[in-house]
Amino acid sequence: MGTAPLDFAEFYRKSADGCLRAVLVSVGDLDAAQDLVDEAFARAWASWRTVSAHPAPAAWVVRTALNANISRWRRRRREISVPDPGLVADPPMAGGITGSPIDPRIMTALMRLPARQRQVVALRLILDLDTGRTAEVLSIAPGTVMAHLGRALASLREELMPERQQESPS
Amino acid sequence: MNDDELITAVREAVADVHATTPVEQIRRRGRTVRARRRIPGLAAVAIAAVAATALLTASHPASHRARTELMAWTVAKQRGGTISVTIRELYDPAGLQRTLRADGVPAVVTFYGQGRPPSCRPYAAGRGLLGKIFPAPLPPAAAVVIRPSALPAGAGVYLNDSSNPYGFIGVSLGLVHASKQCTGG
Repeated sequence: MGTAPLDFAEFYRKSADGCLRAVLVSVGDLDAAQDLVDEAFARAWASWRTVSAHPAPAAWVVRTALNANISRWRRRRREISVPDPGLVADPPMAGGITGSPIDPRIMTALMRLPARQRQVVALRLILDLDTGRTAEVLSIAPGTVMAHLGRALASLREELMPERQQESPS
Repeated sequence: MNDDELITAVREAVADVHATTPVEQIRRRGRTVRARRRIPGLAAVAIAAVAATALLTASHPASHRARTELMAWTVAKQRGGTISVTIRELYDPAGLQRTLRADGVPAVVTFYGQGRPPSCRPYAAGRGLLGKIFPAPLPPAAAVVIRPSALPAGAGVYLNDSSNPYGFIGVSLGLVHASKQCTGG
């Protein structure tokens, strides 16, 4: 039985939420994530012949969105000077969480993870890619994906556990 | 909290986030992306046409026909016998492989991190030799130069896309043992 060609509208309908959540976990800002994902889907539409043949089109979209984020960051870095280098090291957009449909406690914990660990969490846990595909998207070894995920989960547990323990009466 | 509970908590943290942009708006933005691409694309075609004419008038033995794959990648013979490969889009690795072979490079090409085909054995080479065969700057550039005359007998080129940590298109080059199954001869 042959496989029907992937329709862009159907692909968008099925994968837009997952891609947005994955990019959100990576960049930490809902408005920025939405714009990056829109741009990535627009590029996917413009190159649909290529993207529809990709083994994991949603991964292509997320990767493109993250590329666009880096490009923006580089443009901004050229355009404005950062007065305090410490600002750059701040977790991305702590302020953007306010008033959003996102659990702020978990998002704050996610934002404290190193960027690569957040990307692994985004692809493995949010986009639900397997280890091999995540490794391909990030161009790292599968073992490295597992190591990043393990460290990320350990850090998240450490961040979130104390509050959980306080919640339960002892 | 075990791993499953933690993973569920992370997923639930963003479960209420939904994409709100209508697909028609994405399409409109996509048309803008296409229009943006068309301008440098047309310029590239014009430049390629001029370059092809120059190459032909210089009796340069370009074994490949005029490129129709300009948007995805370009292979060009240069003076001195080197071959430049520029990759803009990870599309048609088989076509790129055929073109390189037609230009005298025993080559195997894979994209999307598919890795070295099982039929290809890596060919051990030091940095010195690799620097002679691939004289241009290597990754993260998506444009590389291959000097076929520097290839040792029995060696072929393995070209793979190599994304940097943020997924930019880059080219990874290596050597494999040339064989009919691997590099076509």
